[in-house]
Amino acid sequence: MASDGLPIFTKLDGMMAVFTEEHQILEAARKIKEQGYTVFDAITPYPVHGLEEAVGVKRSWIPWVTFIAGATGCIFGTWLTWWTSAVSWPINVGGKPMWSLPAFVPIIFELTILFAALASVKIMFVACGLPRVNPPVVDEDLTSHKFGLFISSKDSKFNNEETKKALADLGAEKVHEVSEY
Amino acid sequence: MQKHIEINNPSPFIFSHKLKGICAALGFLGLIAFVFGLKMDASRTWQAFLMGFFFFTSMSLISLMFLALQHLTSAQWSVNIRRVFESLAAFLPYSAFLMIILALFGAPELYKWLDPEIVAHDALLKHKEPYLNNTFFLIRSAIFFIGWILFSRKLTGNSLKQDETGDDSLIKKLIPVSVGYIVFFTLSYSLFSVDLLMSLEPHWFSTIFGVYLFGGAMQSLMAAAILLILYICKKGLFNGLVTMDHIHDLGKYLLGFTVFWAYIAFSQYMLIWYANMPEETVFFMHRSVGSWMWVSLGLLFFKFIIPFLLLLPRWAKRTPKYLGTISAFIILTQFLDLYWLIYPNFDEHHANFSFYEVLIPCGMAGLFGFAMFQFLSKNSLVPMKDPRLKNSVAHEVVY
Repeated sequence: MASDGLPIFTKLDGMMAVFTEEHQILEAARKIKEQGYTVFDAITPYPVHGLEEAVGVKRSWIPWVTFIAGATGCIFGTWLTWWTSAVSWPINVGGKPMWSLPAFVPIIFELTILFAALASVKIMFVACGLPRVNPPVVDEDLTSHKFGLFISSKDSKFNNEETKKALADLGAEKVHEVSEY
Repeated sequence: MQKHIEINNPSPFIFSHKLKGICAALGFLGLIAFVFGLKMDASRTWQAFLMGFFFFTSMSLISLMFLALQHLTSAQWSVNIRRVFESLAAFLPYSAFLMIILALFGAPELYKWLDPEIVAHDALLKHKEPYLNNTFFLIRSAIFFIGWILFSRKLTGNSLKQDETGDDSLIKKLIPVSVGYIVFFTLSYSLFSVDLLMSLEPHWFSTIFGVYLFGGAMQSLMAAAILLILYICKKGLFNGLVTMDHIHDLGKYLLGFTVFWAYIAFSQYMLIWYANMPEETVFFMHRSVGSWMWVSLGLLFFKFIIPFLLLLPRWAKRTPKYLGTISAFIILTQFLDLYWLIYPNFDEHHANFSFYEVLIPCGMAGLFGFAMFQFLSKNSLVPMKDPRLKNSVAHEVVY
């Protein structure tokens, strides 16, 4: 804080507006999208129905990672059971063929699930930047009862004064600049 | 958020002359094929009869089971599509009539254990006689059908009564009824499948058999419900009371039970394959020789692998034409499954397929369609007086 009470930012990440009601954030997100902003985000203390649509969140790409990892696990499981039971150390079990698919399906299935699940969790952590030791506190109330709409300065339409006014017009309780988001 | 929901009355479903004509034509074709078939090849006619009968009876029973599940959990999302499932269960009284025909005239053609000559010379069948005999078979079937029809009257009856009175306690009273139906259904359906299908090969046994049929029937029920809902939506009768989100959730059920069926089918296969005991392996031996092997592989690919991969993406469950095509395909594979269960018991070398297998189930489809459309045209398409209807229409599938 500088001596005159105004915060001095070394860098500006964007503008945060805080709303007190659920319907306000939905309305605001929709309006902001209509005004042509693209790089913005909503922060709510609990899941709000219809917010993804209002913000215009696209479908996550993580399912593709899950699918590819699952397919990899499936192929790996097939190779592993074949190599261990039929090539490297062939064992005759109950007179069945060395490479008996029915016996290996459970292993292949489990490896598919294991690869898919672990890869999804891992990639989710990477995509969300987790774990983070010191997450920036944008506003204390956002985790309990208030709703935030954040517009990034990276947005091509971002303009300090105009954005501030646009957010205030939407009925925000307060609008302030955010240095780290 | 409280989305603004408009509740309009659904348009009445009109059982048009065209639809009636189609149902009657199908029924008539089936009847002709049945009569001709009896003269030409009685055994095969009854096999086809059993295939169609079991498919449509299972459809109605599982539909009631799904309804019971919704009432038991006081589910809100499914209130607006409840009537669709009730209509799928409307076939039960007709089914009882077909059961009488099957038990009295068809059974001797199908079941070896009904022939005293064979039983007398077969130690295993003699051992199983206290269960597998004509009298007990008739008594069991009678108990099952009486129980099912009574439960269906209660389950759909209270829901229809609520349409008039708007009394919510009618639905609350269904919770204990649902518990009763689920217990009764689980036991009776398992024995019913043993009586009608497993005993075609009376030496063979599998304890998971009832669950296997349940999985496949649940899968085809979801497919049928999706098709029926899409059909009503296409006619524009729901007036916005059923949204894409409900169809999406039914699509998830469809995908889930596709996997469930495959899981159970493989569990049954793997244990028998591993233990390798002659009295158990005979079932799969018959189904892995000659053309039956192709049917078995077809089942694996068409009933599990292909629908599973096709149904995986989110858009697949939200694109009516695409989802409808897969649903129709899955219903066909359920017939393939029953074909695979019934026919190898009579001809273990060749998978025969001709007009019996097409026309006789078609005839039953006509009867089923008649019962279903009749039910829909008599009642409101959506239970308008259920207090949870608004929440149901507002149902949303989150990302």
